[in-house]
Amino acid sequence: MSDGLVARLKRPLDTRADFGEAFAGEWRGLGAAELATRSVRLAGGPVPLGDLLHISGSANGALRLEGDFSRADRVGAGLASGTITVVGQVGDEAGLGMSGGALIIEGDAGRRAGAASSGYRRGMTGGELIVRGSAGPEAGASMRRGLIAIGGDAAEYAGLGLIAGTIVVFGASAAGAGQWSKRGSLVALGSVTPPATYTYACTYWPPHVGLILTRLRDVYRLPVRDIHITGRYRRYSGDLAELGKGEILAWQAE
Amino acid sequence: MKIRGVLIEETFAEAFTMRVARLVITARSSRWVREASLKLTGFATSVIGCKVEAAIERELTPAETPDGRPGVSILVMTMGKDDLPKRLIERVGQTVLTCPTTACYDGLPDAPDRVGVGSALRFFGDGFQASKVVGGERFWRIPVMEGEFLVQEKFGMIKGVGGGNFLILARSADAALEAAEAAVDAIAGHPGVILPFPGGVVRSGSKVGSRRIKSMIASTNDAFCPTLRAITRTALPADVNSVLELVINGVDVPAVASAMKVGIDAACRDGIVAISAGNYGGKLGPHHFHLRKIMAGDTSAATG
Repeated sequence: MSDGLVARLKRPLDTRADFGEAFAGEWRGLGAAELATRSVRLAGGPVPLGDLLHISGSANGALRLEGDFSRADRVGAGLASGTITVVGQVGDEAGLGMSGGALIIEGDAGRRAGAASSGYRRGMTGGELIVRGSAGPEAGASMRRGLIAIGGDAAEYAGLGLIAGTIVVFGASAAGAGQWSKRGSLVALGSVTPPATYTYACTYWPPHVGLILTRLRDVYRLPVRDIHITGRYRRYSGDLAELGKGEILAWQAE
Repeated sequence: MKIRGVLIEETFAEAFTMRVARLVITARSSRWVREASLKLTGFATSVIGCKVEAAIERELTPAETPDGRPGVSILVMTMGKDDLPKRLIERVGQTVLTCPTTACYDGLPDAPDRVGVGSALRFFGDGFQASKVVGGERFWRIPVMEGEFLVQEKFGMIKGVGGGNFLILARSADAALEAAEAAVDAIAGHPGVILPFPGGVVRSGSKVGSRRIKSMIASTNDAFCPTLRAITRTALPADVNSVLELVINGVDVPAVASAMKVGIDAACRDGIVAISAGNYGGKLGPHHFHLRKIMAGDTSAATG
């Protein structure tokens, strides 16, 4: 069984690079040479992916990105299938509008991970975005479907305008979490202060959280504890200034 | 062929193709897993009278379940593919949805045939239900007074085998029961099979039809009833005074054959005269489990 493709930065990025077209749509069948022809946009215009990355290995639906991608924006944008793992942190808008597959970021993510592309109403419509570190503001903004897991903290407005889907935050969720959401779930395993437009409903065991956390533990080895799975959650319904069918589920430590 | 002095008769069990679903039920504790499971599999011994045959396949540890809680896997079987979703909706809706703390998942994720269960039960939520897609599968969250009931939208359906069996011919009722219990214990947890009758054992084996009432589908298997030895065409050796049957359903032929092998072996003990099997002359069911072939290790030879 092949280990898949490995792409290493040939040299550190000295300017911001837009990877939005590099892995969009179907790419799993592409070999290293074919993938190298996809475009990356730099300030001076588009360049082939192969100009920036040394790509090796054979196609099996998995791609590993190695190097400092902190100036790489929109990594995994439009992802529809396969698994991309970024060893380290990424720039802004990782997984923007992705519809399937899995994007795993071993470090931190910048602003608007899994959010909607500019001019689009819907963010992620499917797939799983795993950020082992922390995420910048507006993670999952306008997300329609899928799963985002943030191993560290989520900056302001995680799940802003959430349409549906699930965001799990292992660390602290900053102010504005879930603001203007219609449906969807924001599961806060760390501290969270629901917006004033959310209303407390009850404290209970939400069965879908057990299912999701078990998957995050088993598939992505996230630090899920048994008491996260079996514990109780405070359910806040909102955003009542919108449709009000969303929820913030705040884990109760005892 | 004899095993520890017990005759393995030169005969075969005749079995049928059935449709199978595997349910995984979890709950907050083993107690509530058991409560839901016993209700769901209650009155599900034979399609003749129950429309469905079901039983617990095995217990699952929290590490084996989708939500990290204790659980069981249950096989539910019907004769027709159209029957299975109806029976699942009835039983899950009445016995699992109603049971505190439970959730219900598909245990055949690779089966290409899918039948809607959660997709029907969700309407109990009266518009307050919500769905989640996890790992590419949709689950329905149905609000209930206790909290929420979670049920998978669709369940896999495969072709399986129903009616694998063997008969324990014993010198006494006590010996028959002890041997049957030993066989059930040996089969317990065997992957891919269930024993749908009470405690895994049947005392009322049947023959097809009736001598007197044309409308009856089945009636007592008089050839194996010791009390009728003198007045019917008996199939019992002279020193047999009690007969018990194990009926084994499974996900495929090898699973049933393998379970029959371990069960028969366990049943071959003091007080047992012979092991036989129920069949209809080989004309009704496509799967023929020849006892001697199975005990010789050929668990694949089961086609009539």
